[in-house]
Amino acid sequence: MRDCWITGGATFDLAPTAWKTIAGGASPDEQERRLLAIAAQALDVALRPAAPKTLRRRPPLPRLALPMLPERLRPLLRAALKHAADARRKTRVVTLVASRGFVLHPMDWMPIASDQNSPDVYAPWIDWQASVDGERHAPQEKLTAENWDEFYPAARRIALADMRRSEPASARMLVEAKASGEPAEVRLALVELMRFGLNPEDAPFLKSLSADRSGKVRELAGRLLARLGEHGRSNDGGPGDPAAELAAFISEGKSGFIRRRSIYTPAKLKSPAQEKRRAELFETCNLVDLAARFSATEPEFIGAWQFGADNNADILIARMVAASGSDVAVTHMADALVADGGKPALFVLLTPRLDSRRKRALVRLILKEANYLNAINLAEGIDAGWLEWDDLSNGSALAALRSAVAGNDDAMRRGADDILETIGFLATATTAAKLIDEVVAAGMPPAAPSLGVLRLNAALAEYQSRTDT
Amino acid sequence: MEFDLKTIEALAPDQASLSAASKLTKRSNWPRLERNEQQALIWGECQGSGSNPYRVVVDTGDHGYKCTCPSRKFPCKHTLALMWIAATAPASFAAAESSPEWVNDWLGRRRKTTPPPAQPIAGAAAKSIDDAARTDESAAVEDVAAVERREAAQRKRAEDTRQAVSAALDELDQWIADQLRLGLSGFVDGSSDRCRRIAARLVDMKATALAGRIDEIPSRLMALRSEERPDAAIRELGKLVLLAKAWRAAPDDPELKRLVSTSETREQVLASPDARQVESFWEVLGEKIESRRDGLVSHSTWLLDLKSTTPQFAVLLDYFPASAGRRSNAFAPGDRFDARLVFYPARKPLRALVAERMGDVMSGAWPDFSLGATKDPLAGHASYQDAAPWITDCPLLLPPGAILVDDRGTGWWQAAGDPQGIALPIAGAVNQTLLGLDLAATAALWDGARLDLLAAQSGFGRLDLS
Repeated sequence: MRDCWITGGATFDLAPTAWKTIAGGASPDEQERRLLAIAAQALDVALRPAAPKTLRRRPPLPRLALPMLPERLRPLLRAALKHAADARRKTRVVTLVASRGFVLHPMDWMPIASDQNSPDVYAPWIDWQASVDGERHAPQEKLTAENWDEFYPAARRIALADMRRSEPASARMLVEAKASGEPAEVRLALVELMRFGLNPEDAPFLKSLSADRSGKVRELAGRLLARLGEHGRSNDGGPGDPAAELAAFISEGKSGFIRRRSIYTPAKLKSPAQEKRRAELFETCNLVDLAARFSATEPEFIGAWQFGADNNADILIARMVAASGSDVAVTHMADALVADGGKPALFVLLTPRLDSRRKRALVRLILKEANYLNAINLAEGIDAGWLEWDDLSNGSALAALRSAVAGNDDAMRRGADDILETIGFLATATTAAKLIDEVVAAGMPPAAPSLGVLRLNAALAEYQSRTDT
Repeated sequence: MEFDLKTIEALAPDQASLSAASKLTKRSNWPRLERNEQQALIWGECQGSGSNPYRVVVDTGDHGYKCTCPSRKFPCKHTLALMWIAATAPASFAAAESSPEWVNDWLGRRRKTTPPPAQPIAGAAAKSIDDAARTDESAAVEDVAAVERREAAQRKRAEDTRQAVSAALDELDQWIADQLRLGLSGFVDGSSDRCRRIAARLVDMKATALAGRIDEIPSRLMALRSEERPDAAIRELGKLVLLAKAWRAAPDDPELKRLVSTSETREQVLASPDARQVESFWEVLGEKIESRRDGLVSHSTWLLDLKSTTPQFAVLLDYFPASAGRRSNAFAPGDRFDARLVFYPARKPLRALVAERMGDVMSGAWPDFSLGATKDPLAGHASYQDAAPWITDCPLLLPPGAILVDDRGTGWWQAAGDPQGIALPIAGAVNQTLLGLDLAATAALWDGARLDLLAAQSGFGRLDLS
């Protein structure tokens, strides 16, 4: 009957007897309509959809070690997540919640399989996601040279990064054995993982990469070696040596009356072409090689650098230190900048390599100065929920925020929105609550979306104290 | 409160708005009236002509306002009425410590401007708040003859409509027979044009509701895979035949009249002795907002009765013109409230109105409806179909189960511990996270081919799926 209706035509003769009894005794059109009505009802009530045999179930989503964010706070959380413009800011909200002892509802937020920045408590969910994306990955299985090909690249990267943190040598040996067989892009990503738990034992492998087919891999290996204090290039001083060329852009002088010491000042540039070349050289050279040109150690070189003589050169050298400086050089530069009491813009460039104490010092510095308040948004990997009200009120940050909120300049207001969002992540609950009051008093609508993270922060503390009592 | 009647008079777009607002100033129209002096805000919920209450918020500082009604007058009568109450009976507003989420949403979106001039604008001189207040009292007393004339005219109009609808159904019958003769394969391919033509004829012949339903058939067919469409066409057309037959048998039946020609007004439903009234705790399961081909947007809010021992549902259904723009939702999924609902009379009453709202209720898990004992998850659907076979979407509460995927990535709901049992295909894309959750109970709409998920209960609490 169905086929007959599809192609067109009368189906009465094909109908079951019972149906004919009901539908019969009418005009041919009416008979067809009656049969159609019966068929419709039969399809709806008597027939059930046939399930395909290949239905697959995903493993159950694991429970996490922390309790779920209370239902009452979920609207605040969703508002904060909605306002967070990108994955980095969303991760900050997640980190803030985790720092107060809660995890998010999986329907509100889920880490992606390649996530490396969310709090450790989410590791079971990242594994679960990886098992969803790459069916070949068995979550409990350890990555070895034998099962290397059974992992998808993302799952493999996660496994390797974990291994670098716990057993750096085994991870290095795996990369050593397998990287050469991978295409350049994958090879680059694998070598990049060496930055986790980088130690002098990695040097021979990194040196061996100087013969790699890919220029990007060679460069990365050179930088990692430089962080270990190893010279990436031979110091022949010839015309082809970029460190020598860069050194020519820097003039060495002496200062001090009693104890003469070296100082390094960027040379005056004559043309934009020179400026461009100098920037390129700072990008490609390693700090250790440059310092060696002046027969200085990395900390000596940084200590003698004349910050403030040329802002562009300062930024370039800060980037160079962040990319290729040894850990000692990075902390030395950070401490020198704090001691000078300024230059948060340069400090920010170092943040990915700083420890948490120095990162906090940086944030306090930025807030105190308030000239580069926006720099606070660039600072990465800082702890959540520690900023006290004094840190905020001692400097000029609060006044700057208040005037931006009260003013009519849209760009300033947008800037203030971003800063409030970041402070929402850094602040203690008390600071968050006080700051909301301050900016609302300055004229910000109490329900402004940019206060979302601050409100969540303050509410999390309220909840905690309520459950404590 | 910074309102006086002069300000309201100046803000009102015309005299008609003021008059309409004056009728809404009765406290009974406003189940909720609240204020937050710190934020300089007043807000309330006004039971308008729709099923959902309208939500109105006014900034008493700069006289900014927002109402969820579809009116094109700014400010609308609800906003004016809220201001009016604030001016004349400020004690009606309960003090609230914090503002609800919908008020915060509006505050977050709006751009604060300098206070607009509350001076009289052009034409304002023609408006008078005293006149508006008087309109109510000066309702004309009709004489008996006039009432009789009016009723006779009404009866005549009803008879004319009935005849027109009867002729429309004859035409529909012929059209269905034509589609069968020409073949459903051609119907599926050309459903858009064919349905549009017959729908236009039905509108002319006063079968407006039926026309709207037929206009939606093409999009319902296209949502399915091509091999499923002929069966779906049989179901859709067969249900039309049944509906036409039922109407002919009982043209005055309110349910059938509503499905074929026009719906009753809110007042008629509230006054109807056949309308079932249920006072209970209700949870908003979810909302479905669909743009229809006739230029209307249908907004349905599905509710679950939390006091009933078996799963009982209600739907608040409103239509508004798509040109009115996106409307804020009256309820958020997961909201719970204590209310008296009045159901539109029907064999299986689903569509309802909120007659009285008593307050909000704490959230929690759904009651145990002993769903685990249910053998057939579609039993609820079958019972709806037995009583009213013309219904297309039936609400269901499914027993414990999980979401699975097939090779094409389509999601299927399947009962727990019954891998060989029936599975129901899910409409639209499925959130990947859902695939790892065990669902203790799932509320969904079943249209005979696809499951449209509304909400679920799981080990991770309530899941909003609409």
